[in-house]
Amino acid sequence: MAPESAPLPETLAELAGMDPNSVPVMILMSLIGAALIGTLMMTNTALAGPWAKRKITAAFTDRIAVDRIGPFGLLIIVADSVRLLSKELIVPEGVDRPAWDLAPLLIASSALLGFAVIPMGNGLHLADPEVGLAYVFATASMASVGLVMAGYASNNKYSFLGGLRAVAQNLAYEIPLILTGASVVIFAGSLQMSEIVAAQSQTLIGPLPSWYAFVNPFAFALFMIANLAEVGRNPFDIPEAPTEIVAGYQTEYSSVYFVLIYLGEFIHIFLGGAIIATIFLGGPAGPVLPGIVWFLIKIWGVFLFTQWARSAVPRVRIDQLIEIGWKGMLVLSLANLLLTAVIVGVIA
Amino acid sequence: MSLEKPTTPAEIGVTEDGLDYDALADLLGGHVLDRETHVNAEGFVIRPDEVQDVLSTLKTEAGFDHCACVTAQEYDDRYESIYHLRKYDDPTQELSIVVPSPKDDPHNQSGARVYDTADWHEREAYDLVGIDYDDHPDLRRILLPDTWQGHPLSQDYNQSQPQIVTLRENANPLQDDKRSEDDPDTMFVNIGPHHPATHGVLHVKTVLDGEQIADIDPDIGYLHRCEEQMCQNGTYRHQIMPYPDRWDYVSAGILNEWAYARAAEDLADIEVPEYAQVIRTMSAELCRIAAHMLALGTFALDVFGDFTAIFQYAFRDREVVQNILEDLTGQRLMFNYLRLGGVAWDLPEPREEFFEKVRDFLDDLPYKLEEYHDLITGNEIFQMRCVDTGVLSPELAKSYGATGPVARGSGVDYDLRRDDPYGYYDELDWNVVTETGCDNFSRVLVRMREVEESARIIEQCVDLLEQWPEDDREIQANVPRTLRPDPDREIYRAVEAAKGELGIYIRSDGTDKPARFKIRSPCFSNLQTLPEMSQGEYIPDMIASLGSLDIVLGEVDR
Amino acid sequence: MIGIMKSMATTMKHALDGETFTVEYPDVAPEVSPRFRGVHKFSQERCIWCRQCENVCPNNTIQIVQDDQRNGEQYNLHIGQCIYCRLCEEVCPVDAILLTQNFEFTADTKDEFAYDKEQLKNVPWYKDIDPLESREPDRGAWIGEGDGEVDYQ
Repeated sequence: MAPESAPLPETLAELAGMDPNSVPVMILMSLIGAALIGTLMMTNTALAGPWAKRKITAAFTDRIAVDRIGPFGLLIIVADSVRLLSKELIVPEGVDRPAWDLAPLLIASSALLGFAVIPMGNGLHLADPEVGLAYVFATASMASVGLVMAGYASNNKYSFLGGLRAVAQNLAYEIPLILTGASVVIFAGSLQMSEIVAAQSQTLIGPLPSWYAFVNPFAFALFMIANLAEVGRNPFDIPEAPTEIVAGYQTEYSSVYFVLIYLGEFIHIFLGGAIIATIFLGGPAGPVLPGIVWFLIKIWGVFLFTQWARSAVPRVRIDQLIEIGWKGMLVLSLANLLLTAVIVGVIA
Repeated sequence: MSLEKPTTPAEIGVTEDGLDYDALADLLGGHVLDRETHVNAEGFVIRPDEVQDVLSTLKTEAGFDHCACVTAQEYDDRYESIYHLRKYDDPTQELSIVVPSPKDDPHNQSGARVYDTADWHEREAYDLVGIDYDDHPDLRRILLPDTWQGHPLSQDYNQSQPQIVTLRENANPLQDDKRSEDDPDTMFVNIGPHHPATHGVLHVKTVLDGEQIADIDPDIGYLHRCEEQMCQNGTYRHQIMPYPDRWDYVSAGILNEWAYARAAEDLADIEVPEYAQVIRTMSAELCRIAAHMLALGTFALDVFGDFTAIFQYAFRDREVVQNILEDLTGQRLMFNYLRLGGVAWDLPEPREEFFEKVRDFLDDLPYKLEEYHDLITGNEIFQMRCVDTGVLSPELAKSYGATGPVARGSGVDYDLRRDDPYGYYDELDWNVVTETGCDNFSRVLVRMREVEESARIIEQCVDLLEQWPEDDREIQANVPRTLRPDPDREIYRAVEAAKGELGIYIRSDGTDKPARFKIRSPCFSNLQTLPEMSQGEYIPDMIASLGSLDIVLGEVDR
Repeated sequence: MIGIMKSMATTMKHALDGETFTVEYPDVAPEVSPRFRGVHKFSQERCIWCRQCENVCPNNTIQIVQDDQRNGEQYNLHIGQCIYCRLCEEVCPVDAILLTQNFEFTADTKDEFAYDKEQLKNVPWYKDIDPLESREPDRGAWIGEGDGEVDYQ
């Protein structure tokens, strides 16, 4: 099946009545498209960070939470933005300046980059390169560079420990994550995101769509767990571990930098959700509602899951985490890859 | 029944009706210079350079395995250290070892080589009173800063002397902090005094080897509020009672008040009416539930990471207890409910409503505990984190004077409510909870099971109070308005507070205020075990062990 | 895994049952027990200036100034220093000082909490509850004795 529609820049160019074949027009339209998608994701993050997270946590803990300003307390987002942006940016003595400044930018932007290749339905698809999935994993793991930079440059021992933990954790979980993703690639026979989505558009049994979550639930479960570690949420939030190393790599950040790191974390969760939605849940596919709505429902579902896990699952210890990663997840994901390859080879 | 203890082989001086002090004196022979009589036990006066001999003889041959407290004080003509010894098997068998030392150069041999717990107690004595302990492993100030001038509880202390120390004179806190001198691969980290997991202002000087703890030294005193001195400046009858609430301030107030009430009542021979004892027992157990709920919630906080659901659920359930206590005492934390010889108030009218409220709470409790078991103890990751971490062997627990859930989690069957009965406990049917795992998990389990036992006690108390004849509801004995116990009476009395043995030593001097008021805080002794539990473990385990000790810095620092 | 599932099921149950245990303070004022000990209220009419409250106060929060005929001139109480132990109320032979249920008091500086007797007289009752009614039944209540306007001056 062909991709649902042309990539976003071409659609925009046609809407504006310009020539889609001219390079300057395409550059301009790509920028506009990127701004659109960036804004969409930032809006989601803004909703999630100051408001939804509080509401969800409150629901799990039998409290009321924000409800004073605006309908359902939604205007707290505005109030919080003003509050956070008006805080003093404290630059501690002895920080490694360019690295310390770059780290929050890197953390926030690396996750945003990944959305470029995610098909969100209704033509909201910025680019569709043939190596789409590899590109997403590459950009997502760039965040760990940011975490290490933040940890090292802060000149703080807690940050340092947090940075080290972040690297150890990401190394241990990136490999199972990508290997599990590779099993999907074997199914779909392509790294291109639109192809992967298209491959999931048949039905499996009865009304059940042939989403890879249903085709291979084991890989889905593995990917969900590895994704929790990838985005650093319970039970794998050890790079931050507030009760152990205060706040890990972000201990020394305040004001705008803190907001950037915080935003970056949430965008990262959403990117994780977007990857899961695309390669396991059929991307924007779904009945009745338009594709983009289904897409958002899926990524918010993943976000909800992280919050749910956070409410009830204790944090594992760093050595246990590494053990689970290297001895458990890696072996399981290799086995999964092998089995998938054999099954696909036999059937095809 | 549970209140009976297995009998131990007869030790020296143990007879049917209490200790035979003559036999003990014979055991020590020439070491005993003189004998004093304290209200709780006899005191043997010994030479200051024979402390270790005497203590180790008593520990190994007479079975005094619990050094409950070391009290130091200054008289007009001498300094004195008192080692309050008891037995874990039977804490009613007590003995005080009184060590006088000269006024001009106060020093005596340290007992820290015999009892590990004496280490911190002697440091405190050195810090506040100014007695030097020879052969002490690490004699330095413990509550006050290193640069403090003078010893505040000594008689010649100049209270108006300024204590401002410039940063230049103080040790630079940032100096040489990259690594300890003898090991270049380690890193020094200050955990606290302002850290999310130190339960207050505890400062743990930690040397890390990677993620593992190479060396650890808890630094306390940030919340020192001179509670002992404040009590020495208050009158027995009224002014001391509000302050115990502020030692262990996480809603264990009535338990603390009872410690003072018990010591002072025994000192002044006050009989408490039975009805008041039942009310005391009930309210104290309510406090214990509230305190254990908080301990559970904060421990979950330490292990789970964030302000997660369990912490909030624990607070929600504690809230119910606090509402009941507010109805009864008039305040949610600082109860000031007990009075010498009774309690301040009878149960609130209408009584039926109050009983119903308590019963509702007790009826809901099993369901809630079930939920906690689902959330906490049944969770595999929680078990992974807590089983076999922070191990404290029973021998170490005893040597460090650990009491309460910490000792009971290590299999030490020691509970003053049963072993040294007071209040109405010996009339009621309940069990002492012990777990033999010796790890963080056992300590949590002990607390959760103790909540069940407390609920049983409360239930029986409510039944009793409901049937109590109306004309016999005496809540207060006849106590003179100004209380002046006879001079030179000394007493050490302890109760089972939420964290363990909370003991009070009082010496009277014939006035209406105590001459020496010493608090034996259970948290203080329990915290001493932290290095033993966390050496070589990972940081998260150290944090979990600290949480499982359930310290309250208000009580540690006093 | 079963244990983790059980934990997650428990929290989800709480999330879905919609019950909350917090209240929207100050829109919903919490219930305060009749015995609750809040800010003091002072009645100059009842006071016989015996100074027992000043004497019993554990941390010298109450300060009483008398002229040379032992007539009361000032009654100062630092409600920010007070530890709310209720001993002053307990020793008062005439119920001239009373701890109301009022716990809502704020100020910009600590000094503003040093109340003199006029300020102490004007401390409002919380929800019009007279604490004495709930305390010893044999004591006369401040408000509600007789009908009509209450005059504690």
